[in-house]
Amino acid sequence: MLRGTLRSFPANGHAAFLPQIRKLVFECCDRWPSSETTRNYLFTRLVGLARDNPHVEIVVRQRVHREPIVRGFYINNRDKVIPLNGLSLAEITQKVHLLLDSSGAKIKPLKRRTVESNTESVRGIWSGLHADRPDL
Amino acid sequence: MAAQKRLVSTAAKIASVSTAYLPRFPPREAIFKHSEIPKPPFAPETWASTRPPPPSALSAFAHRIGLASVLSTSDSVLRVCTHSSFPTLQQQFAPDERKVQTNAQLAPLGNALLGLFATEFIHTAYPHLPTRVLKAAVSAQVGTQTCAAVAQEMGAAPLLRWHRSDDVSHSDALASVPRAITALIYEKLSLLSARQFVHSYFLSREIDLRGMIKFRHPKIALLEMIKKLNREYPKSRLLKETGRYSNSPIFVVGIYSGADKLGEGFGSSLRMAEYRAAEDALHRVYLTRVPNHLMSLPTSTFPTGLGSVFKVKGKEKPHTPADLGMAEVEYGRSGRSSAGYTD
Repeated sequence: MLRGTLRSFPANGHAAFLPQIRKLVFECCDRWPSSETTRNYLFTRLVGLARDNPHVEIVVRQRVHREPIVRGFYINNRDKVIPLNGLSLAEITQKVHLLLDSSGAKIKPLKRRTVESNTESVRGIWSGLHADRPDL
Repeated sequence: MAAQKRLVSTAAKIASVSTAYLPRFPPREAIFKHSEIPKPPFAPETWASTRPPPPSALSAFAHRIGLASVLSTSDSVLRVCTHSSFPTLQQQFAPDERKVQTNAQLAPLGNALLGLFATEFIHTAYPHLPTRVLKAAVSAQVGTQTCAAVAQEMGAAPLLRWHRSDDVSHSDALASVPRAITALIYEKLSLLSARQFVHSYFLSREIDLRGMIKFRHPKIALLEMIKKLNREYPKSRLLKETGRYSNSPIFVVGIYSGADKLGEGFGSSLRMAEYRAAEDALHRVYLTRVPNHLMSLPTSTFPTGLGSVFKVKGKEKPHTPADLGMAEVEYGRSGRSSAGYTD
């Protein structure tokens, strides 16, 4: 066991919380009507969003003759893309907040998974040799 | 699926430049111009790695770690994220540009501060911990690997400017970032603010302290400890057993000093159970932890106020030092030293 290789394990949120989203990129076309609502969002609500979330780098790019998208980049080097065509202004706001709150991890189906934990159980694992003898 | 994963990791490694903040794009060097003197061909990846990250990314980083007041300008964030190996790269590929400020002076100061805060915290929290385990725990809490991991989790990896060489690895370069941040907080605010930063980002992380305590002869170590504390000679007693003649017996043995049970262990043989009981007894001593609300750290004596410890004005605060823990048992040492090993 070499001292230089020893390390600790993260506990995000125990003392300080680091939001997992790094950058939010809005891409839309200047002309096509599918980007109309997205352009409206960028003109009306984007500056307020940037002011409320100073920890996120916000980028606006042109995406000529394509559907509008919003892409979130996360600390774990993954990104999430959400297309914005056909959505209303409220729905676009909802999708943007979905990206802001996400951790960037892959979506895992929780139906079949058993309990997984890094911490030991609080009361310890049951031992027949330490329990009371059954009293009939 | 695997191809997608490879693409993502490769994309993360390639330096990307935001053209919005460049004075001119494409750069002059990229446009081929015939000249008498042969020049080395333009390498776009090297050019991209010498460009500074955009100011929006630097500002977002400062806000993400909650230090927008300390890292108030882009220059201070750039300074913190530039490793001392970067000027050699800049000298080679962009010698005409203004020399960048690096974190070469801040990082060692920050490293010293990290060591100070971690050592006082772990020593106050675990007063009976053996010295080598204490040192291993400090390395785990604020060592290079942890600093690099903290930098990665803060999102400093895309902002880091460095140059790979035989002496400098990616972990070394990343680790300099949180150290430089700690030093900058100490310079701009105070020692106690730097301590708060270290407690939030480093000392809240989990380490496996039990795994760092390794024994060679726990029964002999326990015997020496009992002699030092003038207790009765230890006696191991079989508490419970099952399946003695089967292929999977379980024995539960307790080590007693008089009427007090010092430790309990299980095993598939009597000797194994007794060994574990001695280990358990020593763990119960070494890993006694003082609760956070009863901990009194030595750096709490510094007055709260802005400035370095030599310049800050105010009255010293009272501090009650904790009782010294038991000195370690030393016996039969053959001279080989290994981190965390205790006898």
